Amino acid sequence: MAKILMKGNEAIGEGAVRAGCRYFFGYPITPQSELPHYLAKRMPEVGGTYLQSESETAAANMVFGAAGAGARVMTSSSGPGISLMQEGISYIAGAELPCVIVNMIRGGPGLGNIAPAQSDYFQAVKGGGHGDYRLICLAPASVQEIIDLMQDAFDLADKYRNPVMLLADGVLGQMMEPVELGEEKEITVPDRPWAATGRKKGGPKRLINSLYIVPEECEKHNLKLGEKYAIIAREEQRWEEYRLDDAKMVVVAFGTCARICKAAVDSARAEGMAVGLIRPITVWPFPNDVFAGVKETANNFLVVEMNMGQMIEDVRLAVSDARPVHFYGRVGGMLPVARDVLNEIRKLYDGGAAK
Amino acid sequence: MSKLSERITIFTGNIGSGKTELAINYALRLKQEHDRVGIVDLDIVNPYFRTRVFRDYLEQNGLKVVAPAGELAGADVPALPAAILGILEDEGIKGVFDVGGDDIGATALGRFKPLLPEGSYGMFFVVNTCRPFTRTVEGIMQVLKAVEKASRLKVTGLVSNTNLGSGTDIATIETGHNIVTEAASRLNVPVTFMAVRNELAAELAQRFPQENLFPLNLHVLPPWLRG
Repeated sequence: MAKILMKGNEAIGEGAVRAGCRYFFGYPITPQSELPHYLAKRMPEVGGTYLQSESETAAANMVFGAAGAGARVMTSSSGPGISLMQEGISYIAGAELPCVIVNMIRGGPGLGNIAPAQSDYFQAVKGGGHGDYRLICLAPASVQEIIDLMQDAFDLADKYRNPVMLLADGVLGQMMEPVELGEEKEITVPDRPWAATGRKKGGPKRLINSLYIVPEECEKHNLKLGEKYAIIAREEQRWEEYRLDDAKMVVVAFGTCARICKAAVDSARAEGMAVGLIRPITVWPFPNDVFAGVKETANNFLVVEMNMGQMIEDVRLAVSDARPVHFYGRVGGMLPVARDVLNEIRKLYDGGAAK
Repeated sequence: MSKLSERITIFTGNIGSGKTELAINYALRLKQEHDRVGIVDLDIVNPYFRTRVFRDYLEQNGLKVVAPAGELAGADVPALPAAILGILEDEGIKGVFDVGGDDIGATALGRFKPLLPEGSYGMFFVVNTCRPFTRTVEGIMQVLKAVEKASRLKVTGLVSNTNLGSGTDIATIETGHNIVTEAASRLNVPVTFMAVRNELAAELAQRFPQENLFPLNLHVLPPWLRG
Protein backbone atom coordinates (compact mmCIF):
# COMPACT_ATOMS: atom_id res chain seq x y z
CA MET A 1 0.00 0.00 0.00
CA ALA A 2 1.29 3.46 -0.93
CA LYS A 3 2.66 5.70 1.75
CA ILE A 4 1.01 8.98 2.59
CA LEU A 5 2.42 12.21 4.03
CA MET A 6 0.55 13.21 7.16
CA LYS A 7 0.65 15.73 9.95
CA GLY A 8 0.59 14.22 13.41
CA ASN A 9 -2.83 15.75 14.06
CA GLU A 10 -4.24 14.22 10.88
CA ALA A 11 -2.69 10.86 11.76
CA ILE A 12 -4.50 10.86 15.10
CA GLY A 13 -7.76 11.41 13.23
CA GLU A 14 -7.10 8.73 10.62
CA GLY A 15 -5.78 6.32 13.25
CA ALA A 16 -8.94 6.81 15.29
CA VAL A 17 -11.21 6.21 12.29
CA ARG A 18 -9.29 3.05 11.45
CA ALA A 19 -9.60 1.90 15.07
CA GLY A 20 -13.37 2.07 14.74
CA CYS A 21 -13.94 5.43 16.41
CA ARG A 22 -17.12 6.92 14.97
CA TYR A 23 -17.77 9.78 17.37
CA PHE A 24 -15.67 12.88 17.88
CA PHE A 25 -16.62 15.82 20.08
CA GLY A 26 -14.28 18.73 20.48
CA TYR A 27 -13.55 22.40 20.34
CA PRO A 28 -10.74 23.95 18.28
CA ILE A 29 -7.54 25.12 19.95
CA THR A 30 -4.06 25.59 18.53
CA PRO A 31 -1.92 23.54 18.05
CA GLN A 32 -4.34 20.63 17.56
CA SER A 33 -7.01 22.20 15.34
CA GLU A 34 -5.96 20.15 12.28
CA LEU A 35 -7.38 17.13 14.11
CA PRO A 36 -11.00 18.36 14.31
CA HIS A 37 -10.49 19.91 10.84
CA TYR A 38 -9.53 16.48 9.50
CA LEU A 39 -12.31 14.62 11.26
CA ALA A 40 -14.93 17.14 10.17
CA LYS A 41 -14.17 15.92 6.64
CA ARG A 42 -13.39 12.29 7.44
CA MET A 43 -16.17 11.28 9.86
CA PRO A 44 -18.98 11.81 7.33
CA GLU A 45 -17.09 9.56 4.86
CA VAL A 46 -17.40 6.62 7.27
CA GLY A 47 -20.87 7.38 8.61
CA GLY A 48 -19.46 8.79 11.83
CA THR A 49 -20.38 11.87 13.81
CA TYR A 50 -18.23 14.96 14.15
CA LEU A 51 -19.61 17.59 16.45
CA GLN A 52 -18.03 20.87 17.48
CA SER A 53 -19.14 21.43 21.02
CA GLU A 54 -19.78 24.83 22.58
CA SER A 55 -16.88 24.35 25.00
CA GLU A 56 -14.39 21.77 26.20
CA THR A 57 -16.55 21.15 29.28
CA ALA A 58 -19.38 20.18 26.94
CA ALA A 59 -17.06 18.03 24.80
CA ALA A 60 -15.88 15.98 27.80
CA ASN A 61 -19.48 15.41 28.87
CA MET A 62 -20.53 14.44 25.34
CA VAL A 63 -17.72 11.87 25.45
CA PHE A 64 -19.05 10.70 28.85
CA GLY A 65 -22.51 10.23 27.37
CA ALA A 66 -21.39 8.55 24.15
CA ALA A 67 -19.02 6.21 26.00
CA GLY A 68 -21.79 5.33 28.45
CA ALA A 69 -23.98 4.41 25.50
CA GLY A 70 -21.24 2.09 24.22
CA ALA A 71 -19.64 4.18 21.47
CA ARG A 72 -15.96 4.29 20.49
CA VAL A 73 -15.44 7.96 21.11
CA MET A 74 -12.64 10.53 21.20
CA THR A 75 -12.02 14.14 22.05
CA SER A 76 -8.94 16.29 21.71
CA SER A 77 -7.62 19.62 22.88
CA SER A 78 -4.53 21.37 24.17
CA GLY A 79 -3.52 22.57 27.66
CA PRO A 80 -6.24 25.08 28.62
CA GLY A 81 -8.97 22.99 26.98
CA ILE A 82 -7.79 19.81 28.70
CA SER A 83 -7.94 21.68 32.02
CA LEU A 84 -11.58 22.55 31.31
CA MET A 85 -12.30 18.87 30.61
CA GLN A 86 -10.96 17.59 33.92
CA GLU A 87 -14.29 17.31 35.73
CA GLY A 88 -15.69 15.19 32.90
CA ILE A 89 -12.54 13.06 32.69
CA SER A 90 -12.76 12.29 36.41
CA TYR A 91 -16.43 11.29 35.97
CA ILE A 92 -15.51 9.05 33.02
CA ALA A 93 -12.74 7.38 35.03
CA GLY A 94 -15.09 7.02 38.01
CA ALA A 95 -17.79 5.47 35.86
CA GLU A 96 -15.17 3.21 34.24
CA LEU A 97 -15.86 4.13 30.65
CA PRO A 98 -13.52 3.67 27.68
CA CYS A 99 -12.59 6.70 25.59
CA VAL A 100 -9.55 8.42 24.11
CA ILE A 101 -8.50 11.96 25.00
CA VAL A 102 -5.77 13.74 23.03
CA ASN A 103 -3.63 16.52 24.50
CA MET A 104 -1.29 18.29 22.04
CA ILE A 105 0.51 20.28 24.70
CA ARG A 106 1.29 23.97 24.24
CA GLY A 107 3.26 26.45 26.34
CA GLY A 108 1.71 27.26 29.75
CA PRO A 109 0.70 27.86 32.47
CA GLY A 110 -2.49 29.80 31.95
CA LEU A 111 -3.13 30.96 28.43
CA GLY A 112 0.59 30.58 27.73
CA ASN A 113 1.19 30.41 24.01
CA ILE A 114 0.68 28.18 20.97
CA ALA A 115 4.23 26.82 20.87
CA PRO A 116 5.09 23.19 21.75
CA ALA A 117 5.66 22.02 25.35
CA GLN A 118 5.53 18.97 27.63
CA SER A 119 4.43 20.85 30.70
CA ASP A 120 1.13 18.95 31.12
CA TYR A 121 2.97 15.76 32.15
CA PHE A 122 1.94 16.04 35.81
CA GLN A 123 -1.65 16.76 34.82
CA ALA A 124 -1.72 13.71 32.56
CA VAL A 125 0.00 11.11 34.74
CA LYS A 126 -0.74 12.25 38.30
CA GLY A 127 -4.45 12.85 38.04
CA GLY A 128 -5.48 16.18 36.59
CA GLY A 129 -9.03 15.91 37.80
CA HIS A 130 -10.22 15.11 41.30
CA GLY A 131 -10.23 11.77 43.03
CA ASP A 132 -8.09 8.64 42.97
CA TYR A 133 -7.90 7.69 39.33
CA ARG A 134 -5.39 7.06 36.59
CA LEU A 135 -5.29 7.64 32.87
CA ILE A 136 -3.40 5.23 30.67
CA CYS A 137 -1.11 7.67 28.97
CA LEU A 138 0.62 7.06 25.61
CA ALA A 139 3.38 9.33 24.32
CA PRO A 140 4.22 8.80 20.63
CA ALA A 141 7.36 10.25 19.06
CA SER A 142 6.61 9.98 15.34
CA VAL A 143 3.65 10.27 13.01
CA GLN A 144 3.88 6.55 12.18
CA GLU A 145 3.84 5.70 15.86
CA ILE A 146 0.69 7.80 16.27
CA ILE A 147 -1.05 5.68 13.61
CA ASP A 148 0.11 2.48 15.31
CA LEU A 149 -0.79 3.62 18.83
CA MET A 150 -4.31 4.83 18.05
CA GLN A 151 -5.57 1.27 17.67
CA ASP A 152 -3.86 0.33 20.94
CA ALA A 153 -5.31 3.40 22.64
CA PHE A 154 -8.89 2.35 21.90
CA ASP A 155 -8.16 -1.32 22.68
CA LEU A 156 -6.57 -0.48 26.03
CA ALA A 157 -9.49 1.79 26.86
CA ASP A 158 -11.85 -1.12 26.21
CA LYS A 159 -9.74 -3.76 27.90
CA TYR A 160 -9.59 -1.81 31.16
CA ARG A 161 -12.74 0.30 30.80
CA ASN A 162 -10.60 3.34 31.43
CA PRO A 163 -9.92 6.62 29.62
CA VAL A 164 -6.68 6.65 27.63
CA MET A 165 -4.78 9.85 26.96
CA LEU A 166 -2.56 10.42 23.95
CA LEU A 167 0.03 12.90 25.14
CA ALA A 168 2.07 14.80 22.57
CA ASP A 169 3.19 18.33 21.83
CA GLY A 170 2.50 20.83 19.10
CA VAL A 171 5.54 19.87 17.02
CA LEU A 172 4.36 16.30 16.67
CA GLY A 173 0.89 17.55 15.78
CA GLN A 174 2.13 19.98 13.14
CA MET A 175 5.01 18.14 11.52
CA MET A 176 4.57 15.94 8.48
CA GLU A 177 6.11 12.49 8.01
CA PRO A 178 5.47 9.65 5.60
CA VAL A 179 3.30 6.92 7.10
CA GLU A 180 2.20 3.46 6.13
CA LEU A 181 -1.51 3.22 6.88
CA GLY A 182 -1.83 -0.47 6.02
CA GLU A 183 -5.04 -2.12 4.91
CA GLU A 184 -8.25 -0.80 6.39
CA LYS A 185 -9.53 -3.53 8.67
CA GLU A 186 -13.05 -4.35 9.68
CA ILE A 187 -13.12 -3.38 13.35
CA THR A 188 -15.27 -5.28 15.77
CA VAL A 189 -15.80 -3.19 18.85
CA PRO A 190 -15.84 -5.52 21.88
CA ASP A 191 -19.17 -6.36 23.38
CA ARG A 192 -20.25 -3.88 26.04
CA PRO A 193 -22.76 -5.59 28.30
CA TRP A 194 -22.56 -2.62 30.68
CA ALA A 195 -23.55 0.04 28.13
CA ALA A 196 -26.76 2.00 28.73
CA THR A 197 -28.55 1.38 25.46
CA GLY A 198 -32.16 1.22 26.65
CA ARG A 199 -34.00 -1.58 28.46
CA LYS A 200 -35.76 -2.86 25.35
CA LYS A 201 -38.86 -4.44 26.89
CA GLY A 202 -37.65 -5.41 30.32
CA GLY A 203 -33.93 -5.96 29.90
CA PRO A 204 -31.67 -5.42 32.91
CA LYS A 205 -31.29 -1.91 34.25
CA ARG A 206 -27.89 -0.44 33.45
CA LEU A 207 -26.69 2.64 35.20
CA ILE A 208 -23.69 4.77 34.17
CA ASN A 209 -22.66 6.53 37.31
CA SER A 210 -19.77 7.80 39.39
CA LEU A 211 -21.85 8.65 42.45
CA TYR A 212 -21.21 6.40 45.46
CA ILE A 213 -22.96 8.23 48.22
CA VAL A 214 -22.35 5.60 50.91
CA PRO A 215 -18.69 5.84 52.02
CA GLU A 216 -18.36 2.08 52.42
CA GLU A 217 -19.51 1.63 48.82
CA CYS A 218 -17.22 4.40 47.57
CA GLU A 219 -14.27 2.84 49.36
CA LYS A 220 -15.06 -0.52 47.76
CA HIS A 221 -15.20 1.20 44.38
CA ASN A 222 -11.84 2.90 44.95
CA LEU A 223 -10.23 -0.37 46.00
CA LYS A 224 -11.57 -2.03 42.87
CA LEU A 225 -10.16 0.79 40.73
CA GLY A 226 -6.86 0.49 42.61
CA GLU A 227 -6.63 -3.19 41.74
CA LYS A 228 -7.24 -2.36 38.10
CA TYR A 229 -4.53 0.30 38.10
CA ALA A 230 -2.10 -2.12 39.74
CA ILE A 231 -2.69 -4.61 36.92
CA ILE A 232 -2.20 -1.89 34.28
CA ALA A 233 0.99 -0.71 35.99
CA ARG A 234 2.33 -4.26 35.89
CA GLU A 235 1.15 -5.33 32.42
CA GLU A 236 1.18 -2.29 30.17
CA GLN A 237 4.56 -0.58 30.53
CA ARG A 238 6.06 0.28 27.17
CA TRP A 239 9.31 1.89 26.22
CA GLU A 240 11.93 2.10 23.50
CA GLU A 241 15.60 1.44 24.17
CA TYR A 242 18.07 3.25 21.94
CA ARG A 243 21.80 2.39 21.94
CA LEU A 244 21.43 1.26 25.53
CA ASP A 245 23.93 -1.62 25.41
CA ASP A 246 27.00 -0.79 27.51
CA ALA A 247 25.67 2.76 28.08
CA LYS A 248 27.44 4.49 30.96
CA MET A 249 25.09 7.43 30.75
CA VAL A 250 21.39 7.16 29.95
CA VAL A 251 19.26 9.99 28.58
CA VAL A 252 15.53 9.72 29.35
CA ALA A 253 13.07 11.63 27.19
CA PHE A 254 9.61 11.16 25.68
CA GLY A 255 7.86 12.38 22.53
CA THR A 256 9.48 15.15 20.48
CA CYS A 257 12.24 15.53 23.07
CA ALA A 258 13.27 11.92 22.49
CA ARG A 259 13.69 12.62 18.76
CA ILE A 260 16.01 15.52 19.56
CA CYS A 261 17.87 13.47 22.16
CA LYS A 262 18.46 10.60 19.72
CA ALA A 263 20.41 12.99 17.54
CA ALA A 264 22.41 14.07 20.61
CA VAL A 265 23.03 10.43 21.61
CA ASP A 266 24.33 9.70 18.10
CA SER A 267 26.72 12.66 18.31
CA ALA A 268 27.89 11.58 21.77
CA ARG A 269 28.53 8.05 20.52
CA ALA A 270 30.50 9.50 17.60
CA GLU A 271 32.68 11.28 20.19
CA GLY A 272 33.31 7.97 21.93
CA MET A 273 30.95 8.41 24.87
CA ALA A 274 28.83 5.37 25.77
CA VAL A 275 25.45 7.08 25.91
CA GLY A 276 22.02 5.54 25.35
CA LEU A 277 18.39 6.58 25.54
CA ILE A 278 15.26 5.29 27.23
CA ARG A 279 12.07 6.63 25.66
CA PRO A 280 8.95 5.92 27.71
CA ILE A 281 6.06 5.16 25.32
CA THR A 282 3.64 4.80 28.22
CA VAL A 283 4.24 7.65 30.66
CA TRP A 284 1.55 6.11 32.85
CA PRO A 285 2.20 3.38 33.64
CA PHE A 286 5.78 4.62 33.80
CA PRO A 287 8.20 1.97 32.47
CA ASN A 288 9.89 1.23 35.79
CA ASP A 289 10.92 -2.26 34.66
CA VAL A 290 13.56 -1.05 32.20
CA PHE A 291 15.29 1.00 34.91
CA ALA A 292 15.69 -2.01 37.21
CA GLY A 293 18.54 -3.37 35.07
CA VAL A 294 19.91 -0.12 33.72
CA LYS A 295 20.41 1.51 37.11
CA GLU A 296 22.95 -1.21 37.89
CA THR A 297 25.07 -0.56 34.80
CA ALA A 298 24.76 3.17 34.09
CA ASN A 299 26.71 5.77 36.06
CA ASN A 300 24.11 8.48 35.76
CA PHE A 301 20.94 9.64 34.05
CA LEU A 302 19.99 12.82 32.21
CA VAL A 303 16.29 13.60 31.87
CA VAL A 304 15.44 16.03 29.06
CA GLU A 305 11.97 17.57 28.94
CA MET A 306 10.16 20.58 27.55
CA ASN A 307 9.12 21.62 31.08
CA MET A 308 10.74 22.57 34.38
CA GLY A 309 11.30 18.93 35.34
CA GLN A 310 8.24 16.72 35.73
CA MET A 311 9.00 13.22 34.41
CA ILE A 312 12.30 13.44 36.30
CA GLU A 313 10.35 12.65 39.49
CA ASP A 314 9.24 9.32 38.01
CA VAL A 315 12.76 8.60 36.78
CA ARG A 316 14.12 9.27 40.29
CA LEU A 317 11.52 6.88 41.75
CA ALA A 318 12.42 4.26 39.15
CA VAL A 319 16.16 4.63 39.83
CA SER A 320 15.43 4.81 43.59
CA ASP A 321 18.44 7.04 44.26
CA ALA A 322 20.88 4.36 43.14
CA ARG A 323 22.42 6.83 40.62
CA PRO A 324 22.39 10.61 40.11
CA VAL A 325 19.57 11.86 37.91
CA HIS A 326 20.23 15.20 36.18
CA PHE A 327 17.91 17.47 34.29
CA TYR A 328 17.98 19.65 31.22
CA GLY A 329 14.86 21.39 29.95
CA ARG A 330 13.53 24.19 27.82
CA VAL A 331 10.20 25.77 28.69
CA GLY A 332 7.48 28.14 27.62
CA GLY A 333 7.27 26.78 24.09
CA MET A 334 11.01 26.62 23.44
CA LEU A 335 12.58 23.43 22.09
CA PRO A 336 15.85 21.94 23.24
CA VAL A 337 18.36 21.68 20.40
CA ALA A 338 20.48 18.57 19.95
CA ARG A 339 23.74 20.48 20.34
CA ASP A 340 22.72 21.83 23.77
CA VAL A 341 21.71 18.34 24.90
CA LEU A 342 25.11 17.13 23.67
CA ASN A 343 26.81 19.84 25.74
CA GLU A 344 24.95 18.64 28.82
CA ILE A 345 26.06 15.09 28.08
CA ARG A 346 29.69 16.25 27.74
CA LYS A 347 29.48 18.13 31.05
CA LEU A 348 28.01 15.20 32.96
CA TYR A 349 29.55 12.18 31.26
CA ASP A 350 32.77 11.99 33.28
CA GLY A 351 32.02 13.89 36.46
CA GLY A 352 28.32 13.20 36.78
CA ALA A 353 28.62 10.05 38.85
CA ALA A 354 30.55 11.87 41.57
CA LYS A 355 28.05 14.66 41.99
CA MET B 1 13.54 27.00 -14.48
CA SER B 2 12.77 30.09 -16.48
CA LYS B 3 9.87 32.48 -16.88
CA LEU B 4 9.44 34.10 -13.48
CA SER B 5 7.26 36.64 -15.17
CA GLU B 6 4.35 37.59 -12.94
CA ARG B 7 4.76 40.55 -10.66
CA ILE B 8 2.60 38.91 -8.02
CA THR B 9 2.88 35.17 -7.46
CA ILE B 10 0.47 33.49 -5.07
CA PHE B 11 0.95 30.00 -3.66
CA THR B 12 -2.24 28.26 -2.57
CA GLY B 13 -3.11 24.65 -1.93
CA ASN B 14 -4.21 21.98 0.46
CA ILE B 15 -2.91 22.16 4.05
CA GLY B 16 0.62 20.75 4.06
CA SER B 17 1.04 20.71 0.28
CA GLY B 18 4.36 22.58 0.44
CA LYS B 19 3.33 26.19 -0.09
CA THR B 20 5.78 27.72 2.40
CA GLU B 21 8.75 25.75 1.08
CA LEU B 22 7.83 26.75 -2.46
CA ALA B 23 7.21 30.40 -1.64
CA ILE B 24 10.61 30.65 0.09
CA ASN B 25 12.46 28.94 -2.75
CA TYR B 26 10.58 30.92 -5.38
CA ALA B 27 11.25 34.27 -3.71
CA LEU B 28 14.95 33.49 -3.27
CA ARG B 29 15.12 32.54 -6.96
CA LEU B 30 13.37 35.76 -7.96
CA LYS B 31 15.93 37.68 -5.92
CA GLN B 32 18.67 36.39 -8.21
CA GLU B 33 17.01 38.15 -11.13
CA HIS B 34 15.28 41.12 -9.53
CA ASP B 35 16.46 43.83 -7.23
CA ARG B 36 13.38 44.12 -5.06
CA VAL B 37 11.48 41.03 -3.97
CA GLY B 38 8.97 40.77 -1.15
CA ILE B 39 7.54 37.66 0.50
CA VAL B 40 4.19 37.88 2.25
CA ASP B 41 3.15 35.44 4.98
CA LEU B 42 -0.61 35.31 4.60
CA ASP B 43 -0.93 32.08 6.59
CA ILE B 44 -3.61 32.50 9.25
CA VAL B 45 -4.11 28.74 9.61
CA ASN B 46 -0.82 26.98 10.30
CA PRO B 47 0.73 27.86 13.67
CA TYR B 48 4.29 26.51 13.27
CA PHE B 49 5.80 25.81 9.87
CA ARG B 50 5.17 29.10 8.10
CA THR B 51 7.19 31.83 6.40
CA ARG B 52 7.54 34.17 9.41
CA VAL B 53 9.67 31.53 11.17
CA PHE B 54 12.34 32.14 8.52
CA ARG B 55 12.23 35.96 8.70
CA ASP B 56 15.90 36.45 9.70
CA TYR B 57 17.21 34.10 7.05
CA LEU B 58 15.07 35.64 4.32
CA GLU B 59 16.01 39.18 5.29
CA GLN B 60 19.69 38.26 5.28
CA ASN B 61 19.11 37.15 1.72
CA GLY B 62 17.77 40.55 0.78
CA LEU B 63 14.06 39.80 0.78
CA LYS B 64 11.46 42.16 2.17
CA VAL B 65 9.47 40.02 4.62
CA VAL B 66 5.89 41.04 5.27
CA ALA B 67 4.49 39.07 8.21
CA PRO B 68 3.11 39.81 11.66
CA ALA B 69 6.12 41.08 13.60
CA GLY B 70 7.28 40.97 17.19
CA GLU B 71 4.89 39.44 19.68
CA LEU B 72 2.15 39.21 17.05
CA ALA B 73 4.22 36.62 15.13
CA GLY B 74 3.12 33.90 17.54
CA ALA B 75 -0.31 35.29 18.32
CA ASP B 76 -3.17 32.97 17.51
CA VAL B 77 -5.12 35.70 15.72
CA PRO B 78 -5.77 36.20 12.01
CA ALA B 79 -4.01 39.58 11.90
CA LEU B 80 -2.62 40.79 8.58
CA PRO B 81 -0.03 43.59 8.39
CA ALA B 82 -0.91 46.73 6.44
CA ALA B 83 2.43 46.48 4.59
CA ILE B 84 0.81 43.82 2.35
CA LEU B 85 -0.76 46.70 0.44
CA GLY B 86 2.71 48.11 -0.21
CA ILE B 87 3.68 44.93 -2.04
CA LEU B 88 0.44 44.93 -4.04
CA GLU B 89 0.59 48.64 -5.02
CA ASP B 90 4.32 49.08 -5.66
CA GLU B 91 4.84 48.28 -9.36
CA GLY B 92 8.59 48.08 -8.82
CA ILE B 93 8.60 45.08 -6.52
CA LYS B 94 8.02 41.39 -7.17
CA GLY B 95 5.72 39.88 -4.57
CA VAL B 96 5.40 36.26 -3.47
CA PHE B 97 2.40 35.30 -1.32
CA ASP B 98 2.41 32.27 0.97
CA VAL B 99 -1.27 31.62 1.63
CA GLY B 100 -2.69 29.39 4.38
CA GLY B 101 -4.00 25.94 3.50
CA ASP B 102 -7.38 24.95 2.12
CA ASP B 103 -10.30 27.29 1.51
CA ILE B 104 -10.05 28.46 5.12
CA GLY B 105 -6.54 29.78 4.58
CA ALA B 106 -7.45 31.21 1.17
CA THR B 107 -10.20 33.33 2.73
CA ALA B 108 -7.51 35.78 3.87
CA LEU B 109 -6.65 36.36 0.21
CA GLY B 110 -10.18 37.32 -0.84
CA ARG B 111 -9.86 40.68 0.89
CA PHE B 112 -7.22 41.73 -1.68
CA LYS B 113 -9.26 40.90 -4.78
CA PRO B 114 -9.81 44.59 -5.70
CA LEU B 115 -6.03 44.95 -6.02
CA LEU B 116 -5.63 41.78 -8.03
CA PRO B 117 -7.44 42.16 -11.35
CA GLU B 118 -7.37 39.15 -13.65
CA GLY B 119 -4.09 38.91 -15.55
CA SER B 120 -2.12 40.83 -12.92
CA TYR B 121 -1.08 37.81 -10.91
CA GLY B 122 -0.12 34.17 -11.12
CA MET B 123 -1.97 32.01 -8.63
CA PHE B 124 -0.43 28.58 -8.31
CA PHE B 125 -2.17 25.68 -6.67
CA VAL B 126 0.40 23.37 -5.09
CA VAL B 127 -0.43 19.67 -5.20
CA ASN B 128 1.16 16.81 -3.33
CA THR B 129 -0.78 13.65 -4.16
CA CYS B 130 0.67 11.94 -1.08
CA ARG B 131 -1.44 14.24 1.11
CA PRO B 132 -4.93 13.34 2.35
CA PHE B 133 -7.80 14.79 0.26
CA THR B 134 -5.64 15.51 -2.87
CA ARG B 135 -4.72 11.95 -3.75
CA THR B 136 -7.00 11.81 -6.78
CA VAL B 137 -7.95 14.10 -9.67
CA GLU B 138 -11.40 14.55 -8.12
CA GLY B 139 -9.91 15.41 -4.73
CA ILE B 140 -7.57 17.99 -6.27
CA MET B 141 -10.42 19.61 -8.21
CA GLN B 142 -12.63 19.78 -5.14
CA VAL B 143 -10.03 21.52 -2.94
CA LEU B 144 -8.99 23.82 -5.81
CA LYS B 145 -12.56 24.95 -6.46
CA ALA B 146 -13.06 25.64 -2.75
CA VAL B 147 -9.84 27.72 -2.69
CA GLU B 148 -10.95 29.72 -5.73
CA LYS B 149 -14.33 30.38 -4.18
CA ALA B 150 -12.87 31.52 -0.86
CA SER B 151 -10.15 33.69 -2.43
CA ARG B 152 -12.39 35.03 -5.22
CA LEU B 153 -9.36 34.58 -7.52
CA LYS B 154 -8.59 32.14 -10.32
CA VAL B 155 -5.89 29.49 -10.19
CA THR B 156 -3.60 30.05 -13.18
CA GLY B 157 -1.49 26.93 -12.88
CA LEU B 158 -0.74 23.79 -10.88
CA VAL B 159 2.55 23.07 -9.17
CA SER B 160 3.38 19.40 -9.21
CA ASN B 161 4.93 18.86 -5.77
CA THR B 162 4.33 15.22 -4.89
CA ASN B 163 6.65 14.06 -2.14
CA LEU B 164 6.89 11.98 1.02
CA GLY B 165 9.31 14.30 2.76
CA SER B 166 12.51 12.41 3.50
CA GLY B 167 10.99 9.25 2.03
CA THR B 168 10.53 10.64 -1.50
CA ASP B 169 11.63 8.52 -4.44
CA ILE B 170 11.35 8.88 -8.21
CA ALA B 171 8.44 6.44 -8.50
CA THR B 172 6.40 8.45 -5.97
CA ILE B 173 7.00 11.67 -7.90
CA GLU B 174 6.14 10.01 -11.20
CA THR B 175 2.84 8.59 -9.95
CA GLY B 176 1.88 11.94 -8.45
CA HIS B 177 2.90 13.91 -11.50
CA ASN B 178 0.62 11.84 -13.72
CA ILE B 179 -2.33 12.62 -11.46
CA VAL B 180 -1.45 16.34 -11.41
CA THR B 181 -1.12 16.40 -15.21
CA GLU B 182 -4.53 14.78 -15.58
CA ALA B 183 -6.08 17.27 -13.14
CA ALA B 184 -4.47 20.20 -15.00
CA SER B 185 -5.89 19.01 -18.28
CA ARG B 186 -9.38 18.57 -16.79
CA LEU B 187 -9.15 22.06 -15.26
CA ASN B 188 -7.71 23.54 -18.44
CA VAL B 189 -4.73 25.13 -16.66
CA PRO B 190 -1.03 24.39 -17.22
CA VAL B 191 1.32 22.53 -14.90
CA THR B 192 3.39 25.65 -14.27
CA PHE B 193 6.30 23.71 -12.87
CA MET B 194 7.36 20.57 -11.20
CA ALA B 195 9.07 21.07 -7.85
CA VAL B 196 11.66 18.53 -6.71
CA ARG B 197 14.36 18.25 -4.12
CA ASN B 198 17.76 19.35 -5.48
CA GLU B 199 19.29 15.87 -5.29
CA LEU B 200 16.60 14.40 -7.54
CA ALA B 201 16.55 17.21 -10.12
CA ALA B 202 19.08 15.76 -12.58
CA GLU B 203 17.36 12.38 -12.86
CA LEU B 204 13.92 13.95 -13.17
CA ALA B 205 15.10 16.35 -15.88
CA GLN B 206 15.93 13.29 -17.96
CA ARG B 207 12.64 11.59 -17.25
CA PHE B 208 10.47 14.66 -17.78
CA PRO B 209 12.27 16.72 -20.44
CA GLN B 210 9.02 18.48 -21.32
CA GLU B 211 8.44 19.79 -17.78
CA ASN B 212 9.60 23.02 -16.20
CA LEU B 213 11.66 21.72 -13.26
CA PHE B 214 12.09 23.75 -10.09
CA PRO B 215 14.81 22.30 -7.83
CA LEU B 216 14.21 23.04 -4.13
CA ASN B 217 16.53 23.61 -1.18
CA LEU B 218 14.65 22.42 1.90
CA HIS B 219 14.15 24.90 4.74
CA VAL B 220 10.99 23.69 6.45
CA LEU B 221 12.35 20.88 8.59
CA PRO B 222 11.57 19.32 11.99
CA PRO B 223 13.77 20.57 14.86
CA TRP B 224 16.06 17.53 14.96
CA LEU B 225 17.00 17.98 11.30
CA ARG B 226 17.91 21.65 11.70
CA GLY B 227 21.50 22.64 12.47
